[in-house]
Amino acid sequence: MTATEPPSTAVAEPEPRRRLHPLSPLLHGAKSIAVIVAALSWQTLSQVGLERFAIVVAIIAVGVVVFSIVGWLTTGYQVVGRELRISDGVIWRRNRAIPLERLQAVELRRPLLAQLTGLAELRLEVIGGGKTEAPLAFLTVREAAALRERLLRLAGRTRAMEAQPTDQPAAEAPAVPALERPLLRVDNRDLVVSQLLTPQAFFLPVGVAFVVLQFVLEGSWTFIGIASTVTAMAGVLLQPVRRVLQDWDFRLARDPEGRLAVRYGLLETRSQVVPLNRVQAVGATWPLLWRGQGWLHLRLDIAGYAGEPGDAKRSDRLLPVGEFATARTLVWEVLPGVDLAALATSPPPSRARWLNPVSLRSMGVGLTPEVFVTRWGVLTREMHLVPYARLQSVRVVQGPLQRLFGLATVYADTARGRAGQAKDRDLAEAYALAAELAVRARNARGPSVQPVWQTPQQL
Amino acid sequence: MTVDALTPWPDTVDWRPVSPKLITVELIVRWSWALILVAGLCVGLVLQGHWLWQLGIALVVLNSIWRSFVTVRAVRAWGYAERDQDLLVRHGLLVRRLSIVPYARMQFVDVTAGPLERAFGLATVQLHTAAAASDASIPGLPPAEASRLRDRLTALGEDRAEGL
Repeated sequence: MTATEPPSTAVAEPEPRRRLHPLSPLLHGAKSIAVIVAALSWQTLSQVGLERFAIVVAIIAVGVVVFSIVGWLTTGYQVVGRELRISDGVIWRRNRAIPLERLQAVELRRPLLAQLTGLAELRLEVIGGGKTEAPLAFLTVREAAALRERLLRLAGRTRAMEAQPTDQPAAEAPAVPALERPLLRVDNRDLVVSQLLTPQAFFLPVGVAFVVLQFVLEGSWTFIGIASTVTAMAGVLLQPVRRVLQDWDFRLARDPEGRLAVRYGLLETRSQVVPLNRVQAVGATWPLLWRGQGWLHLRLDIAGYAGEPGDAKRSDRLLPVGEFATARTLVWEVLPGVDLAALATSPPPSRARWLNPVSLRSMGVGLTPEVFVTRWGVLTREMHLVPYARLQSVRVVQGPLQRLFGLATVYADTARGRAGQAKDRDLAEAYALAAELAVRARNARGPSVQPVWQTPQQL
Repeated sequence: MTVDALTPWPDTVDWRPVSPKLITVELIVRWSWALILVAGLCVGLVLQGHWLWQLGIALVVLNSIWRSFVTVRAVRAWGYAERDQDLLVRHGLLVRRLSIVPYARMQFVDVTAGPLERAFGLATVQLHTAAAASDASIPGLPPAEASRLRDRLTALGEDRAEGL
């Protein structure tokens, strides 16, 4: 670690620009080739024959690798003061400076090939981008871990701390031993069972039967035909399998700084560090098919995370599957003072039944001292917790139908992710709620120094 | 308890309207589009002479007249209020919206003015937060008021800045 890291004692002194690992172009190339081969599809293979197909793939492969090597030569990163600068691009040069105080979370991702070669990709989540803005792919694992620790350290320092003479942080950074406090480990058996209890898994036998039936009736047993059907089906029906692979061996811990460390994945391992004050909201979902087990799923909303909510590629898991008691302790860890079992909510007025004939009883809104709670959903029950300190704005919206009944919806907007939604409240109550939320948000924000989350009291 | 959706907290909040000149701007835009549509339909009428073309023209004109009335009311429904800690913006007739945006959450402020707005001496101020959903945009402000508001918002935002 110290060998790769130059002793940058003074912050002002710029350190040399560093390159990514020399193997990265090959890994990138391999990924692109896989994508291209998938795009060429079975159809092309059957049309041009295996030999020509192999030649085409080989030519593309060489091209991709050459392109990747040029890309690697032009990519570099360096830490300057409290900024990370990344330059890349072959034809369009790009030089990006990322102010580290805006860092939301850092993830260390290791796809299968990277695992075999001992490399890792470092992904920085900053706000404002539609996608992950700064993937550093690839670095050696030690280098990536050290860089992550260093970036988070720089990011976590407040202005006040910056004012103090700080010569040592950069030097002491590598010396911190990883003394994490493990919080949770999800049993892989539970994970598999939970993914078997999904609509997709239930439909899988039906889909297979359908395909087999089709082939039997048509009597055309060609390899290509079967292969392409299976590929097409895999995309839709194998989402549970993907989930299992992704969430495999899910572990959660608190690192010495009080940040949340999440690790999971089988083929592609992810290791994510989230400072707790970057958590925008927590969502809990009780899927219908999990109710027998009494399981639920917890989601973490972090600003700057790429992808739509529910996207499998998005790293937003707090608990892939677990019992209520587990979820309760976890929520207490992430949002200190919030007890999942003691969140009282009140339903909308009964005249809202005209707008929500079925779901009225499942809807509710509650204000606890720490969070704004909303819940909804009949079959899949959901709950959304927004800490007041993370509220960006409050909106009251009244549609024409709602006006007929004197109802309105209150939205509590957070940076990225779902807004807390109090649907169909009485109009006067909605305005009171909005005013209350605004006041509570202001009080919760409090002084400008971000609170340092020390070890919270246990339940 | 009766509450008017357009004027919440009437006692404590001092709502300010937007400039009535915005009505003119909106009407010009609306009728320009209507004219273009009618012109197109007239060409069709001359070429073909079917009664459907006449019906189309009548519908466009009627719709524009109706929407003009709505526009007048919609512009009057816009309002904003600066409180100590947050900016309130309300608008909309069919769907009524009220936004409360704390100054501390402001990321940046936009002041925009299209050619037509400029001709009438108007500008739009828009407050952006980190949440894409927050909509706090105030159209139809006189330039002096727009820049005053912008300066005030940025000053207050700096005072209470905490990032995210």
